[in-house]
Amino acid sequence: MPGWQTFYHDLNAKNFEIISIAQDTGGAKDAAPWITAAKPEYTALIDDKHLVTQLYNMVNVPTAVWINEKGMIVRPNEVAYVDNRYKAMHGIDAGPYLDAIRDWVANGDRSTFVMSEQEVKERLKPPSPERAMADVEFALAEYLHKNGNTADAIAHFKEAQRLDPDNWNYKRQAWALSDAEKNYGTSFMKEVQKLNGKPYYAPRKLPEVKKP
Amino acid sequence: MLKTLVCIAIASLLAAATSSAATDKDRAAVIYDGVPTEVTASSEASKDLWITMDDLKRATRFVVKPQGVCRDELCFPLPAKRKAEFISKRGADTWFNLTAFAALVKQPVAHDEKNGVWYFGKRDDERGTYLASLEAPSFTLPDVNGKMHSLADYRGKKVLLVTWASW
Repeated sequence: MPGWQTFYHDLNAKNFEIISIAQDTGGAKDAAPWITAAKPEYTALIDDKHLVTQLYNMVNVPTAVWINEKGMIVRPNEVAYVDNRYKAMHGIDAGPYLDAIRDWVANGDRSTFVMSEQEVKERLKPPSPERAMADVEFALAEYLHKNGNTADAIAHFKEAQRLDPDNWNYKRQAWALSDAEKNYGTSFMKEVQKLNGKPYYAPRKLPEVKKP
Repeated sequence: MLKTLVCIAIASLLAAATSSAATDKDRAAVIYDGVPTEVTASSEASKDLWITMDDLKRATRFVVKPQGVCRDELCFPLPAKRKAEFISKRGADTWFNLTAFAALVKQPVAHDEKNGVWYFGKRDDERGTYLASLEAPSFTLPDVNGKMHSLADYRGKKVLLVTWASW
């Protein structure tokens, strides 16, 4: 978040807003300290039901979507790091992506990085029936957890993970809410090791820009 | 004052739980459009959730009309030959099969038997509608101060929507 604050502040563009959304079942209790520390000038919201994850069919954080002045998606879900803190883990360089945003802010829909409607449609996938079921199992688990039935929530978190196995939000959030080793027999680091070189994020493709 | 209210609430919940054991009725929580409502559920030899017409309206705002199951302008006709699967008159009450209706309108449902909680998700026709229009799905969420913000408030600006998490 401090990275986005610096980026937003330096860009200082009237026609551009960052809406950052915490995907945290714990809500303000878990997310607010980070937001308060970053002192964002942009819009920072808290989503304690993972609604945006469901609405946009997301599977990971950080995931970004570009939305133009008319409210249309011009670049759908893709990994969006603002710095290279975790680059050793995922190998994604933040620099070209930040340049792409700057280009979009300057050039709007004429930017090289804005996709055609057809390209956006090709990239967007309709949610599978399994994903739809995973969403309700996860939501039920969250409801039980928030009502103090954390033990009963685990079976539903597990069911959501089984139905949508590539959804890291549903895995990591559930693990974070209890003792992952004890209740799920795993941990985030163990699961990352299991990937064995397979990318953690879907590869991001930015068009080549000719250097002047 | 609050303490008294809580005690009364707990006492009445306990009373409801005890009395329900003696009948074929049970309390259940239905979560519909994200909103939980406590209902009376008929547990009559069925894996389905049957609720009264009153509870149907309270929990979902849908009502059964001659033309179908309706909410505002939206109406889902019930298949004429299968009406008995959806509506059943028992004693003084008319019951509605909310899980059969969910299957009819392609709405995913998750159930926790132990806690009597039924979570109804988004219908097929509500999901992924933006895939054709490409209009970014709207949402309304709070900031750290509890002030609500909608995506629509930012129309006229470019928006970088970016998710993160504390975990």
